[in-house]
Amino acid sequence: MSDQYEYILKTEHVSKRFGTLEVLKDINLSVKKGEVICIIGPSGAGKSTFLRSLNQLEKITSGKIFIRDELFLHRENDHTVDKLPREKQQELLLEMGMVFQRFNLFPHKTVLQNVCEAPVIVKKEKKEEVEERAKELLDRVGLSEKANEYPSRLSGGQQQRVAIARALAMNPEIMLFDEPTSALDPELVGDVLKVMKELAESGMTMLCVTHEMGFAREVADRVLFMADGIIAEEGTPEEIFTNPKAERTRNFLNAVLEA
Amino acid sequence: MKKAELKKHSGKIITAAVIILICIILGILKPGREALMTQTSPEMQKMIDADANSTRKRVTVTYNSLFIINYASLSTSGANVMSERYVGFLGKVYPADEGAMKVVGQMVNYTYRMLGVGENLMHGAKLTITLTTLTVLFGVLLGTLLALGKISKKKILSKLSGAYIFFFRGTPLLIQIFVVYFTVPGIFGFAWRDLFGVNDAEAVYKGAFVAALIAFALNSGAYCAEIVRSAIQSIDKGQFEAAKALGMSYGQTMTRIIIPQSIRRMIPNVSNEFIMVLKDASLVFAISLMDITTVSKNIMTSEGSYLVFIPALVIYLVITAFFGFIFDKIEKKFSVYE
Repeated sequence: MSDQYEYILKTEHVSKRFGTLEVLKDINLSVKKGEVICIIGPSGAGKSTFLRSLNQLEKITSGKIFIRDELFLHRENDHTVDKLPREKQQELLLEMGMVFQRFNLFPHKTVLQNVCEAPVIVKKEKKEEVEERAKELLDRVGLSEKANEYPSRLSGGQQQRVAIARALAMNPEIMLFDEPTSALDPELVGDVLKVMKELAESGMTMLCVTHEMGFAREVADRVLFMADGIIAEEGTPEEIFTNPKAERTRNFLNAVLEA
Repeated sequence: MKKAELKKHSGKIITAAVIILICIILGILKPGREALMTQTSPEMQKMIDADANSTRKRVTVTYNSLFIINYASLSTSGANVMSERYVGFLGKVYPADEGAMKVVGQMVNYTYRMLGVGENLMHGAKLTITLTTLTVLFGVLLGTLLALGKISKKKILSKLSGAYIFFFRGTPLLIQIFVVYFTVPGIFGFAWRDLFGVNDAEAVYKGAFVAALIAFALNSGAYCAEIVRSAIQSIDKGQFEAAKALGMSYGQTMTRIIIPQSIRRMIPNVSNEFIMVLKDASLVFAISLMDITTVSKNIMTSEGSYLVFIPALVIYLVITAFFGFIFDKIEKKFSVYE
């Protein structure tokens, strides 16, 4: 696999319609390796849908998705025009880890089993090796002593940190975060954000849909403001937070930061 | 079991231990067969002695032992009709030709016959329990396949599974039994007894059992399919998404993530299905098999004993309670993570 690529992830003219509702309209985004991008915006703007369509949890209506400069998927009017062969697609999808708003840990498996499941089952790695790595990851998210607990015994913040460890266990190149702290009690948000911040500092490519403006400001290389299915404004945190150009961005930030 | 758990259940464990202990003591104190036989009147004894040296038996001896209590009936036919009955309980033998002891004796005898203990064939409760257990076991397996078919995105699979379920739920089980037992061999030119050798004296009965099991399992599969389907569809969509995001295939997601979580949700409904099948099992009378209900009805018609249905009800309740307990345990086992 060559590392000679310009963009680790790129979308061109991505649109998504649910029936007559246009959720995404012509989204163009290029992500370089190691970039941390935060997507902010009002609910219903299509932020989550965009993130989910990147790793194929949603099928886009039309547009192109490139991974490592390779055309991963090209669809027009709900028909696939071009795509990589299935195995290659699968391989590239494994490079994307995802963290969900509602954690979605496997409740019938212990914390350690949650983290080990996919590497062993999907990547066919040796169980002992995966377990060792899993323990390191759990240590990294500060939960090594919870390895043998079931998720139901953990707080929301702990569950979310396990979910991050679970995604990292697949050694992805890109991490997608879909509002990872929105379902958490306020006092638990900090621990999760700390883990995400450390991850960003370690050079991970990250796309975060978030309502944590402080986090976006501090950690992001680039902030996208989405509204009504388009990227209304895009820029460095500095530009977006201190000097937003679009009126919508201003209104949104005023509303959010006042609260 | 952990210590704390043991403590929590100590009341129940002690009760169970006491009951078992009492039963064992009653079992030990129960008079043996010899004790019952030596109570007979001199005339009867004479005939028994005479029988011992003759090939032609004139005394019919029935001996039923039900662990804590036993019953013997001796009767002769021909010119000198005699009949004597005895019940043995707690170290004593009671004559059971009249009064309360007669009823007790009958109950022991009926229960014994309905349980089918004395039979080497699948008979009475033995048949009911075996048929029901195997039916639900195969039914759940078949039902899981049908449910996966029904929720499959492949139209043809979904339609076929739907049609199967529609057919088996929409027609009477009794006719399905007839079709499997009579129609299918009729069309394809074989007989169910052919499955067992010509030398097997019980081939007809065994063949009927196989036919019954097939019909019951096919039928139960349709009902279990709906149970499994609703359990699978009750699992949070996020579980599918998480598995997909981790690169798991549909098969891996189903077998490792979704179905294990569905099992706990299926159990109450499978337990219900079990009880339904337990009672439906009486339909096997139609192809000459004898389950609890059929045995009790035969006792009623041949001996005119209207009391026979009381022990029949008790037997059903004991079976239901026992399996209810088992299903409860399975459910708890699958709930550890909640």
